[in-house]
Amino acid sequence: MRFFRQDLHTLTGAYALDALDEGSELTRFTRHLTRCQSCASEVRGFREVATAMAFAATTEPPAEMRDQVMAAVARTRQLPPEIRTHARPKRARGTAPWIPWLSGVVATAAAVVAVFFGLAQSHTQNELNAARAQNHTLASAQARVEAELSQARQHDQALAEILGAPHVTLLSHSTTKGGVAVVVLDAATRQLVVATSGLPALPAGKVYQLWLIGPVKIVSAGLLPTARSGVTTPVVATGLVKGDKLGLTVEPAPGTKQPTTTPIVALPLPI
Amino acid sequence: MNPNDSDASRFSPATADRRGERDLDDLLVHVARGDQGAFEALYDRLVGPVYGVIRRVLRDPSQSEEVAQEVLLEVWRNAARFDPAMGGAATWVTTIAHRRAIDRIRSTTAAADREQKTADVSPPHDEVAEAVEASLDRERVRRCLDSLTDIQRESITLAYYGGHSYRQVAELLSVTLGAIKTRIRDGLIRMRDCLGVN
Repeated sequence: MRFFRQDLHTLTGAYALDALDEGSELTRFTRHLTRCQSCASEVRGFREVATAMAFAATTEPPAEMRDQVMAAVARTRQLPPEIRTHARPKRARGTAPWIPWLSGVVATAAAVVAVFFGLAQSHTQNELNAARAQNHTLASAQARVEAELSQARQHDQALAEILGAPHVTLLSHSTTKGGVAVVVLDAATRQLVVATSGLPALPAGKVYQLWLIGPVKIVSAGLLPTARSGVTTPVVATGLVKGDKLGLTVEPAPGTKQPTTTPIVALPLPI
Repeated sequence: MNPNDSDASRFSPATADRRGERDLDDLLVHVARGDQGAFEALYDRLVGPVYGVIRRVLRDPSQSEEVAQEVLLEVWRNAARFDPAMGGAATWVTTIAHRRAIDRIRSTTAAADREQKTADVSPPHDEVAEAVEASLDRERVRRCLDSLTDIQRESITLAYYGGHSYRQVAELLSVTLGAIKTRIRDGLIRMRDCLGVN
């Protein structure tokens, strides 16, 4: 056991240089860091060495990049500070806190970006990340997603919580009327975010309504906002129960208490 | 110094003054409150290292620019979650930049691209030569790298600038995994002491 710990301890250097492969070793070492104060302290020092190496590599980027970044910033809403709730396992503060939630945010952006590219099946996070890496036009699509997310002011706290969750599941499914629904599911807190792209416009007096279709009852999860450029802003649904499916129906405005038409999509939620 | 001292004491004055670390922390606090002017100032201070380290790892200029833009946007978006107790703003930002570059190369297509673009794993020294204001950092880092054993220096530069995992580094240098882990760590300890980081 002692040998094992020492062996883990020597990974501080590789970890600080991002040279551990994704997978069990990284997971094990990250867990170890939460318990090993001297490892965490050593990693901090090594990160400073890495910072000096980054400064030593200083290279001027193309001048036009500044304007592009500032334009993106001007239309990008900032996430609120992380607020911890007792319901969620405490994250390893004092180790490397920004890595887990960053990947969550990136995964979420990738999920909504998938809408733009018409991906209509369920994807694993890795597949989406790979798809994202492949696509060079993604920066501008991501900026559009950022803009969409920033519109969802009334959902600030709930959205931020889900986007920041350490393990989200990404699902997407085409509807029987065309278009795609994309869901970011945080099973741990039983919440989800849903956005759609390419749904046909509805005649006056009709709305798209979301449902949580459970084994026992069906609960309305609210209306889809009106699409802009074919994309609806994210809607948050909470209080999911085991066996729920996310359903979408066309209903008379301003929505109904129970669905009156056949769902155009009914997506099982792995909770 | 006692290794268990508070985090605030971890920055040696030399390191803090050299990069204006505390100023950067202040700027980031203002950025977190939505101050775009503060973000512009932060951008001007950190875009060189951000783009530089990404460029070193990815080599391809257009991919590097794309990743750098994503990183800077993340800094803006996530500024409120910066925790000064974990290290300075410069470290926070450059850590994200390096991590994003690594994420990019470890996705298969980017890796294939990269293999085609270069058969040579040595860092492109000439590419950074034009960055005049970084000369002091470069000089210090080069001097400290020179104080390492060959294998320590190679393993650290292959991992950090080359973006290789330690397994790949072990393969490239024909050394066992256990030895590489130790060399990287020992080398970083020497670098840390040489650079005056506590």
